[in-house]
Amino acid sequence: MMELVDNLGTGFSTALSLQNLGLCFLGVLIGTVIGVLPGVGPIATIAMLLPLTFKLDPTGALIMLAGIYYGAQYGGSTSAILVNIPGEATAVVTTLDGHQMARQGRAGIALGVAALGSFFAGSVATLVIAALAVPLTKLALLFGPADYFSLMVLGLAFAIVLARGPLLPAFCMIVVGLLLSTVGTDLETGEERLTFGMPNVVDGIDFAVLAMGIFGFAEILRNLENPEVRDVARTAIGRMLPTREDVRRCVKPVLRGTFVGGLLGILPGNGAVLGPFASYTLEKKLSKRPQEFGSGAIEGVAGPESANNAGAQTSFIPLLTLGIPPNAVMALMVGAMTIHGIIPGPQVMTKSPELFWGMIASMWIGNALLLIINMPLIPLWVRMLRVPYHLMFPAILIFCCIGIYSVNNSPNDVILTAFFGFFGYALYKFGFEPAPLLLGFVLGKLMEEKLRQAMVLSRGSFTTFIENPVSAGLLFLTVVVVIVAVLPSIRKSRDEVL
Amino acid sequence: MSNNDNVQKENDGSMRAPRTVGAGLFMILVGLFALYHSWGLTTGTTRQLGPGMIPQSLSVLLAICGGLLIVEGFVTRGEKLEAWKIRGPLFILGAVVIFGLVIKPLGLLLAAPIAMGIGGLASSETRPREIAIFAVVMTAFCLGLFKYALSLPIPLAPWLIGY
Repeated sequence: MMELVDNLGTGFSTALSLQNLGLCFLGVLIGTVIGVLPGVGPIATIAMLLPLTFKLDPTGALIMLAGIYYGAQYGGSTSAILVNIPGEATAVVTTLDGHQMARQGRAGIALGVAALGSFFAGSVATLVIAALAVPLTKLALLFGPADYFSLMVLGLAFAIVLARGPLLPAFCMIVVGLLLSTVGTDLETGEERLTFGMPNVVDGIDFAVLAMGIFGFAEILRNLENPEVRDVARTAIGRMLPTREDVRRCVKPVLRGTFVGGLLGILPGNGAVLGPFASYTLEKKLSKRPQEFGSGAIEGVAGPESANNAGAQTSFIPLLTLGIPPNAVMALMVGAMTIHGIIPGPQVMTKSPELFWGMIASMWIGNALLLIINMPLIPLWVRMLRVPYHLMFPAILIFCCIGIYSVNNSPNDVILTAFFGFFGYALYKFGFEPAPLLLGFVLGKLMEEKLRQAMVLSRGSFTTFIENPVSAGLLFLTVVVVIVAVLPSIRKSRDEVL
Repeated sequence: MSNNDNVQKENDGSMRAPRTVGAGLFMILVGLFALYHSWGLTTGTTRQLGPGMIPQSLSVLLAICGGLLIVEGFVTRGEKLEAWKIRGPLFILGAVVIFGLVIKPLGLLLAAPIAMGIGGLASSETRPREIAIFAVVMTAFCLGLFKYALSLPIPLAPWLIGY
């Protein structure tokens, strides 16, 4: 317990330095601005804003990026409530009741409850991260190569099961991601693999290039083809602070949402995406007035929004302690860390405690800032939501171009991104959901490394993965996850949820 | 009789989910492409995996999955193939490629408005005057942000001022 207080103390003294506080504020603000824009999800937002952090020291850069991340998350909820366009999958549920509330002139309360619920959930999740970080990191240090490999297999299995749409295409995306991760010089022999003589991929395809091509540019192409109908709430925003009655109705949903979301967020393989859905279903089941859900029930905003934010925070746990990103956004964080020369994993906490604890403390500060800046800025968001897309996309385009160029100062990277943009467009046309690809890509290198190490250690025997109890347990869990997902009854309810 | 023929026709041979079949073909293509290009790499043994082992087995796995998708496309009902638009990809990705080509020789001062001008053509709602003004404003903003505030080493206008 004392250790926890000590560590958080280290964290807060780092995060509360004037520079880091400013960066956190800036990140949260810019993240919200971009996140509010409909048609720009958190992945594209972070990819686009990555170059803003290049000149910073690693701690400052990560604090700012984390700020951008939850700013974008919160911005997504704002556009879900005000214009009925979810910025990303996790905000889908918010549109159901949040937008109805906005139509009834209660947009302010919906946004207020979302902000307050998120703040509470974020605060709890920050404590959970701080409490779990030390034991999980110790556990991670006991993991051998075979255990690591099996853990990542489990993560990928979860990612497939929790991806939107059918299982087989999601599996294909993982395999394509793994395949793309093999491009570049082989670590052991130095042979070039699948580089096609391009000098800029000798060290592997740059993560920013892939992410910006497949998410940034392909997203623009997708939006241009489907001009979205923006249903900006015309009615007044109304008061922001919930009434006593609203608060009374929201307390339990927020508590339950935080618990459910936080728990699911820790799972490897994008468990966070389930949080809002689970919370919404739970609240509807427990409510005395289930018929109100879908026509502006405040519980249907408070619960899922808390779950969303709790999950968004706790999904940092696998990344920070095990070095395994659980979803595409965290995969981007790995990319950002690598740019700054930090290899995510259990060693981060011991090697650079200010960075580790500073980032965790900044999460709480970021949540507080979100609450403070969002309340007065909502009228501004409403105005921004009226910016037409045909002016937005050239701006996004140029930001992405400058961003990619700046990663390595390489014009070839820009051209390669255009190629991945086309690849992403093709995937979209064939109905693939590309998020698992990114996860496969990020885990691919580590998985190959661990697999090869494990095989050398076991003298070429695959049984090492089963003989080792930890690895065997993880693989058994993988099998269970896959079997459960394929079972017809579960599959049906999964289709309903996702 | 003719009715019967129709039913049979629907049961054997006709694609029920053309998009899934297309997806399968695409995956097979990607798999074969990767397999072809990783063919020359050493596969190694299980004791000492070579650099080729992983790419090759993943390529084969991908092609098999593609095959399964094609089978699924024939068996289960699904969506039609979507039409590919030319305008969006051509101008957006064209703008990106041209930005990549001209950023070193022309610098951000010209590359940014050129890319935005070309990119603007991707939408039918773009008005020439509007995009021209917007491109100038955005270029000024990007110069201020990336060049001066963040001092990224991005060429400004080498033909004019040498950097």
